[in-house]
Parts: sequence; C-alpha cells; structure tokens
Amino acid sequence: MNTEDIPLQTLLRQNRPAPALPSRFQQNVWRRIEDAQSPAESASWLDALANLILRPRFALAAAAVLLLTGVFTGTLEGRQMARHDAQMNYLASVAPHALR
Amino acid sequence: MNRSLVILLGALALGAGIFAGSYYTAQRATVACCAKPADDLGWLQMEFHLGDAEMARIRELHEGYLPKCAEMCAKIAAAKHELSSLIGNGTNLTAEAQIKLSEIAVLRAQCQAQMLEHFAAVSQAMPPEQGQRYLAEMKKLTLGTNELMEQSMSDHAGHEHGTN
Repeated sequence: MNTEDIPLQTLLRQNRPAPALPSRFQQNVWRRIEDAQSPAESASWLDALANLILRPRFALAAAAVLLLTGVFTGTLEGRQMARHDAQMNYLASVAPHALR
Repeated sequence: MNRSLVILLGALALGAGIFAGSYYTAQRATVACCAKPADDLGWLQMEFHLGDAEMARIRELHEGYLPKCAEMCAKIAAAKHELSSLIGNGTNLTAEAQIKLSEIAVLRAQCQAQMLEHFAAVSQAMPPEQGQRYLAEMKKLTLGTNELMEQSMSDHAGHEHGTN
C-alpha cells in the first residue's frame, strides 16, 4: 500500500455517507434468514426418511414385519370364515331354511 | 416430483402390496384347509371340543333326526305347492287358500318343535357347559332370525301408525 495515500483514504472514509438503517432492520434480516432455512429443513426430513427406507436392513425388517402381520391377520380372518362356513353347513343340515 | 417423495410413495405402495398379498394368501389357505370338515358334524366337534364317545352319540341322534326333518320338509313343500295352485292368478284369497296357509303354519310349527327337541337332545349328549352354549347358539341362529324379522315388522308398523 502506498503510504502517501493514507491521508487521502482517511479523508474519503470520513466523507463516506452512512445512511440511517430502517427500524427493526436486524430483526427483519434474521426473520428472512429463518424463512429461507425452513423449507430446507422439511426437505432434509423427507430425505432422511427416504435414506432410511433405502437402507437394506431397514427395508428387509419392514417387509418382514408387514409379511408376518399380513399372514397373522389373514389366518385369523380365515379361521373365522372357516368356522362360519362349517357352522352354516351344520345349520343347513339340521334347520331347514324355511324355519329360519 | 421430489426424489425422496417418490421413494416414500413407492415404499408405501410396496408395503401395502406385501401386506395385502400375505393377508389374502393366508386367508385363502386357512379357509381351504379348515373349512371342509369331514361331514356336517365337523363344526360341532371343533366348536364344542367333543370327544369320540360324545360324537358317536350325537351322530346317532343326528342320523335319527334327518329323515324326520326331511319328511316334514317334504310335507311343507307339498303344502306350499298346493297353496300356490289354489292362489293361481287370482287376486282374492279364497277360503281354501286360507285353510292351506293355516296347514302350512301348523306344519312349520311342528317342524320347529321337532328341531328344538333335537337341539335339546344333542345338548344333553354334551358336557353341561358346552350343552348350554350349544343350545343358546342354536336358538339364536334358528329363532333369532324370526324374532329380528318380527321386530323389524312391528317397528315398521309402529312407525307408520305414528305418522298417520
């Protein structure tokens, strides 16, 4: 830096206009920063969930749980249906439909 | 569309498919395997946990009851056929048709009484607790439907009377 320019620079700095900031300027700046960050947060939540789903261990475990739950509830329902069918067979043999 | 959202929706669809497929397969397999007992009495043995001796006695009662039941059913069917001929295409209910209706009602009552006697005899061939449960179940299944129908008819009649 040229030392001869120092007085000039000081003079320029002193004469630089410093406009007054609008009221609540800093607060508004922070609010805009927060607003800009919030969609990024929700996207990252969805990404995290998608990443979790794509993990082989998690995917296999979830598939196994769903498969077992389906087999269990299907078997229960099937047993109820089978019981009902057998009951209706017996009923049809002892109680003519005209009497029911 | 967002890649993560596509993955999530795809996973949900796949999960629903796995659950529905396993549920349906298990249900069909269970029905196919358990719904066809050896004969009409299979349900009694399964439901009331009956032993061989009790089943033999019940089978004897059942086989004794079936011809009587068939005979009553044939009488009712014949009477209904006669009623149908008496009514023909006419719009008025003749005296003969009314008599036939009464005959059918009497036959039905006799058939119902015979059926209830059979239920009572079968219930006595079971251990007391199971017998009570059987009798209650049979009454509910055979008489309950009529009661429901009569109840709905009386409700309907009452409603109409209320509005007039």
